[in-house]
Amino acid sequence: MIVAEQKPLEDIIRMVRPYKKVLLLGCGTCTTVCNAGGETEVAFLHDALRMAEARAGDGRREYSEATLKRQCDPEFLEHLTERVEGVDAVVSLACGTGVQALAERFADLPVFPGVNTSFIGMAVEWGVWDERCAACGDCRLEDTGGICPITRCTKGILNGPCAGPKKGHCEVSPDMECAWILIYRRLERLGQLERMRRYYPPRNFRPISRPRRIVGKAGLEARGSHGDVTA
Amino acid sequence: MNTVAVRARRTPLSEHTIMPPCQVACPLHMDIREYVDLAAQGRLMEAMQVIRSGNPFPSICAYICAHPCEEACRRGQVDKPVAIRALKRFALEFGGDRMIEVEAETTRSERVAVVGSGPAGLACAYYLRKLGYPVTVFEAHSEVGGMLRVGIPRYRLPREVLDVEITRLTKMGVEIRTGTRVVSLDLVFDLGYRAVFLTVGAHQSLRMGIEGEDGAGVVDGATLLRELNLGLTPALGERVAVVGGGNVAMDAARSAVRLGVPQVSVLYRRTRAEMPADPREVEQALEEGIEFQYLVAPVRVRTREGRPEVTCVRMELGEPDQSGRRRPVPIAGSEFTERYDTLVTAIGQAPQVPDDFHVRIGRGSTIQVDPVTLSTNRAGVFAGGDAVTGPSTVVEALAAGRTAAGRIDDYLNHRYPLAPSDSEEEWMGDLRPETVATIRTTGRLEPPVLSREERTAGFAPVELAYDCQTATNEARRCLRCGLGAAIVAPDRCASCLTCVRVCPYHVPYADAEGAIHIPFDQCQACGICVGECPAGVIALRKAGELGQVDEELDHVLGSATRVTSKPMIVGFCCQYGVYGTGTLAGLWRGLKAGVWIVPVRCVTKVETGHLLRAFEMGAEGVFVAGCGEQCARENTGHWMRQRVAKVKRVLAQLGLQPERLEAFMWGENTHDPTEVLDEFAARVGGFYLDSVLLQEVKR
Ligand SMILES: Cc1cc2nc3c(=O)[nH]c(=O)nc-3n(C[C@H](O)[C@H](O)[C@H](O)COP(=O)(O)OP(=O)(O)OC[C@H]3O[C@@H](n4cnc5c(N)ncnc54)[C@H](O)[C@@H]3O)c2cc1C
Ligand code: SF4
Repeated sequence: MIVAEQKPLEDIIRMVRPYKKVLLLGCGTCTTVCNAGGETEVAFLHDALRMAEARAGDGRREYSEATLKRQCDPEFLEHLTERVEGVDAVVSLACGTGVQALAERFADLPVFPGVNTSFIGMAVEWGVWDERCAACGDCRLEDTGGICPITRCTKGILNGPCAGPKKGHCEVSPDMECAWILIYRRLERLGQLERMRRYYPPRNFRPISRPRRIVGKAGLEARGSHGDVTA
Repeated sequence: MNTVAVRARRTPLSEHTIMPPCQVACPLHMDIREYVDLAAQGRLMEAMQVIRSGNPFPSICAYICAHPCEEACRRGQVDKPVAIRALKRFALEFGGDRMIEVEAETTRSERVAVVGSGPAGLACAYYLRKLGYPVTVFEAHSEVGGMLRVGIPRYRLPREVLDVEITRLTKMGVEIRTGTRVVSLDLVFDLGYRAVFLTVGAHQSLRMGIEGEDGAGVVDGATLLRELNLGLTPALGERVAVVGGGNVAMDAARSAVRLGVPQVSVLYRRTRAEMPADPREVEQALEEGIEFQYLVAPVRVRTREGRPEVTCVRMELGEPDQSGRRRPVPIAGSEFTERYDTLVTAIGQAPQVPDDFHVRIGRGSTIQVDPVTLSTNRAGVFAGGDAVTGPSTVVEALAAGRTAAGRIDDYLNHRYPLAPSDSEEEWMGDLRPETVATIRTTGRLEPPVLSREERTAGFAPVELAYDCQTATNEARRCLRCGLGAAIVAPDRCASCLTCVRVCPYHVPYADAEGAIHIPFDQCQACGICVGECPAGVIALRKAGELGQVDEELDHVLGSATRVTSKPMIVGFCCQYGVYGTGTLAGLWRGLKAGVWIVPVRCVTKVETGHLLRAFEMGAEGVFVAGCGEQCARENTGHWMRQRVAKVKRVLAQLGLQPERLEAFMWGENTHDPTEVLDEFAARVGGFYLDSVLLQEVKR
């Protein structure tokens, strides 16, 4: 899941300063789950902004709130058409994709990110999320016992560990466990330690040309039985 | 599906609460959970009103109710049931029940006769009056109240209590004719009554069926108590034995002690575990020096020198009988003989219904009725109470009286009687062992009782009322069954697992499909997940709970913002326990004119938005005061601190001192709320002065 965190309030205040009517838009999927942009956070941001304005005494903006199931799918955005009427700007609490999807759909509307989209990760416990995947597009987890060295090794080395780990922890971030020691232990348990003996050549990131696109459907001609259909 | 949600957290759950087990068990279905919660907050007048609305004579029940609710209380699965009856008494006594007057207007012309002035008859009269009927109660004895008057001893039910309720009833316009034994129902109809409610009770003591039981010095318990209660002082001698293990036996034995009998024994044919008497009664009887002989039954009585000589046989417990209790079996050759001055038999009573009533009699001499309409075989004649059920309880009698009033009303209106609405659609199951393991045991707090010496010196009421602190603590033990959290908008639940992770009782769970469930019969209604749910889709089932803090806050801010001379401090204060009585809130308010209290039913109900709103409206400082270690629920303080920390971060980002927001927890960082508040107010006052000065300088 995508993990994000709300931007500092000053940043959001700065973004909305020029506008009168602002829609605070939450996302009901990833940012709800990571406690950064669901309905409750939308309400919290709203209350915080109102409070900030009241304390600063700098004129009142009109805020409205809404939360979509997901902001990253165009069909869901259609439900917004009425709500954005008369709105001067939108603060989106979705990941960067949501912000861009909005900007694309509502060409005349300024859209601002209310959160910093941080990583793909998982919850360790309530309120704590860890990065797990760098979306590198070339997954090697089968060789590393299901533990990603690119994400979890601070140095991202592919033939670890380096010489630095102390008591199983990383020399750079001592509260993090050394990914390569984790990999070793896990391969040992699985009886696959021979995988440690291999040499992984340096990765070539060049073939990943951005932006990436995945086409899952077959490249058929968009033609239905009733004539042309725009896919 | 609606994909745009607009502050759904402000839309409450449809008014759907589940009847808690105590209420199901109460024959009157009183809203126990509600009045216990009000008592826990020290809102005694409201508690008293809730009690009054569900019971015609609550002050009587407050003393002697057999409290089936406590047997059903699920707190009993954790430690011991909530002391509901004693709390009722506390709420009534301190809630001003004595001042209550009940009014009734006559709107009907059909007169109704009630035969018998026991609780069933009086309750029926009460509700018939409320329905507008003229009612006459006929009572054979010279005094009103049935077993409440002639059975239950004064030390358990002070007669003033009974008298107050009866006066209320007569003030409602109920006519009571004492010393009037009804001998024929035809006569009653001839007098112009259109319907009759028979509640003649069960006053005929059962016979033991042994040789010599009519001899001198042998008396039955009901008769003994009646004589005593009607002002006679029976001479019992020095040694008294009471046969039986029920409440009548306890009352007879304990009355004997109070009459000065030095040696009182109870003979019971089973063991203490099987005794039907209330265990607390037995305990108190033991304290009063009564001797209990278990597994003993009299087989023969001889009169010697005018005194009974009783031969008993020892018993052992055999196979269980129909009642589920193990049947006592005599041990051959174990007979022994004792001499007493008086032998009291208290092995049960049966109704005695005059033949001339011409009503059909069934098993155990009880009147046969239709279970729904309480009608007998005679048109217009209804019956209820002990006369129908055999010896039962006051609250059963009251419920029968209330039902009868409704059915008599149906009858007189030629209306088809509505079936009772006892359809318990959703039953609360037992607590799971895993849930029980997470609930803190708190031990039941009993009201104080008189010392043994004070008790046995006369007939003074044994039980005293709670003090406020003990009562509120006892009331807080309620588990709030049936008010638990529910996912109000499952389509917007993101299955984020927050509720699963934050619940101190491990109640919510995710199924294999990823849907979240909150089993209503395990939830403790602490409200933590409600505030933490990032999708805002969880609500408690209690009507009015959701907007409560907002309303109180608006109310307070409305007045507070008008006062501009002093720095404004808003405090969200838990209403339970120490703060519950409102005394502390009052103290703070008096102390610091700038301190405004928002009462909350547990600090978990205070959400980040509430704290921010107080600042938005100009508060210079905000604090949350929780009952901390006294809280009957887990982690409430922890989650409140989480929220406080979150808001502190926002304050810091805006250049406001985070110290303007504070959490005070009883027992954790304070034992003296006034002191910490003083300090806090001084600190906030400093910030306030600084900012005022700064503005002056700027100008
Ligand atoms: C000693 C004792 C202690 C008890 N303790 C408790 C307790 O702690 N808690 C509890 O819940 N229950 C207790 N009970 C049971 C409870 O008192 C009864 O279940 C309840 O009083 C039954 O109410 P009732 O209205 O049906 O009958 P009763 O209360 O028995 O009233 C019947 C009335 O009808 C009158 N009557 C009878 N025949 C006629 C007639 N022909 N004409 C006019 N009047 C007539 C009688 O004189 C009597 O006053 C106790 C009972 C006894 C005997
Ligand atoms: S209200 Fe409290 S007890 Fe009930 S599910 Fe939520 S967190 Fe658990």
